[in-house]
Amino acid sequence: MYKIILATRYLLKRRITYFAILAVALSVFIVIVVMTVMGGLVNEFKEKNHRFAGDCVVGTESLVGFAYYEDFVNLMEQQDFVEAVSPVIKSFALKRRRGSDQDDIAEIMGIDPVRHSQATGFGDTLYYHNDDVSRTFEIASDANLVGCVLGDFMLLQDTNSRYLSETSLPRIPYSISCFPLTARGALAQAGTDMVNTKTFYFSDQSSSGLPRVDGSVIYLPFEEAQLLCGMAGSTKRASRLHIRFKPDVKIDIGCEKVRSLWQKFRQDKAGETQAYTTDTVTVQGWKQYRRESIAPMENEQTEMSVMFGFVGITTVFIVLVVFYMIISHKSKDIGILKSIGVSNVDIIELFSGYAFLVGILGSGIGLLAGWIFLLKINQIEDWLFQHYGFQLWDRTIYAIGDIPNQVEFKVLAIIVVSAIAACLAGALIPSLQAARQKPVETLQVGQL
Amino acid sequence: MIMSKNDFILKAEGLHKSYRMGATEVRVLKGVNLNIKKGEFVAIIGASGSGKSTLLHILGALDRPTKGVVQFEQRDLSRFRAGELNRFRNRMVGFVFQFYHLLDELSVLENVFLPAMTGKSIVGWFACRRQVKNRAKEVLIQMGLAERIKHKPYQLSGGERQRVAIGRALMNEPRLLLADEPTGNLDSATGNGILDVLEALNRAGQTIVMVTHDERIAQRAGRIVTLADGKI
Repeated sequence: MYKIILATRYLLKRRITYFAILAVALSVFIVIVVMTVMGGLVNEFKEKNHRFAGDCVVGTESLVGFAYYEDFVNLMEQQDFVEAVSPVIKSFALKRRRGSDQDDIAEIMGIDPVRHSQATGFGDTLYYHNDDVSRTFEIASDANLVGCVLGDFMLLQDTNSRYLSETSLPRIPYSISCFPLTARGALAQAGTDMVNTKTFYFSDQSSSGLPRVDGSVIYLPFEEAQLLCGMAGSTKRASRLHIRFKPDVKIDIGCEKVRSLWQKFRQDKAGETQAYTTDTVTVQGWKQYRRESIAPMENEQTEMSVMFGFVGITTVFIVLVVFYMIISHKSKDIGILKSIGVSNVDIIELFSGYAFLVGILGSGIGLLAGWIFLLKINQIEDWLFQHYGFQLWDRTIYAIGDIPNQVEFKVLAIIVVSAIAACLAGALIPSLQAARQKPVETLQVGQL
Repeated sequence: MIMSKNDFILKAEGLHKSYRMGATEVRVLKGVNLNIKKGEFVAIIGASGSGKSTLLHILGALDRPTKGVVQFEQRDLSRFRAGELNRFRNRMVGFVFQFYHLLDELSVLENVFLPAMTGKSIVGWFACRRQVKNRAKEVLIQMGLAERIKHKPYQLSGGERQRVAIGRALMNEPRLLLADEPTGNLDSATGNGILDVLEALNRAGQTIVMVTHDERIAQRAGRIVTLADGKI
């Protein structure tokens, strides 16, 4: 009991303790704010990738695509764990806006907007047709024209405007040129007809929140893209299939089932003429499929964790220094306590209890301050933007709405426990040293 | 008169104590023999640096001799384990220091009952706290400090602080009271007041060993032992 009383009194009476509390509070505050914001950004980015890819992707990176995809789509649609399947044509093309003399390289994705919206989050990324995706490629003023959907960053580059007028959608024609390939990968046409070109009209824009996608992808109607890429012959080909599982299906388990079905399917098709096109097909979960985008973010998160590990180590050293100072000023007290029969273990417990109180108070203050700051972070940013034009994340570069500020209680608990552990670790060596002090030495006249 | 072995509360035989200061070994005690009877008031007198305080610390198990034996009620202190030594310092002896050595963060009352709190769990403390506080108040009344129980040590005079220190030393009713220059930091009138308290305690049966360099103060004890050149 005396240890609790003494630890509390030391805490209240020693001003130097306030610096230790402040150091812990600041560390906790910084870690909570940065981990929450950055963690939120990473989670949001992952979620956007998930929405873009669906749960599972069966496909090949080859521009030739793979044959017999329709049979596999039919097979997949019969499975009770599959919600939707969307075949996709993926290739590269030259894009030229009419009136411009410049060709740009673009990535084309041929999709059936309804099926693709069922298998992925595509429908939600549309600006004009998200309530009726079946009309995605329709041009209201002329039913004979074929539409295309541009990523919003691409539109920004072309028109210097992020969003176009909703009421009078401008008719912007784009000519898209592709090199059609045979199943063997050779150019399908020769001479002046080597390239397939078709004009599409801007019908909608997609904002997936993934800058690389929104800056390079043009969505075209599936059949049109298939024709352009030379995949619409007697044996039709597609580049990949995006699959959404039923809500209760775990993605890993679902992918494993798809993988085994695909193996069996390949064996069944082994005798077919274009069976070789299935050689490069892989079955991947969405994370694996988007790993090139996600991995750098995850690396940044790891680097951030290491950086904040150093913040934690700094806190340990601050607490260690403060406790060395406190204990050197309290050596007389240690001698007094030992003279009345207090044991070494009790001395360690006394100063550890003191450190525990510093940790509890410091992390409590840091946690409260961090939580309040996070609650108000978007208002603070708005105010800074209105008064000083300062924006922490430029929204034209980072595809985010508000700054993520959803506090995860698990993260909070880990940070608080780590802060208290850091205080205990910082106080451990000084406490051990205090316990080892000989009472006769500490009670000498010359002691502080 | 023949003394029985049981009449001695403390026996020190052949005590040696030396310190190393750099390459030099300083021999402070060179074979001290000392017996203290129950109920005695013994003053150990000696010049400054003669090893009086060192001897007192060894008798109270705050320090260990380099050589020699200290027996407390026929039990050799060198055979005590760490826990037993802590209990010995807590229950069997009470220390009074020249510079009072009170804890500034605690009130007068808390300083006095501190020795009774050590070794008690929170539950144990709550079970006996009323009794302990009453005992501490009794001791403070005995020391003439009834009005000062809520004060902090730095709000008291030197004499009052020393009486608080005596009160703390007496809290657990120790068999032996060890006082190291208890009046060394006080003016003569206040010092006499402290010696009056010690005399009164001794008359009530308390065994006291007091260290002083002042012969006039030593005269107040029942027996004077002179320490010179590390020997008695």
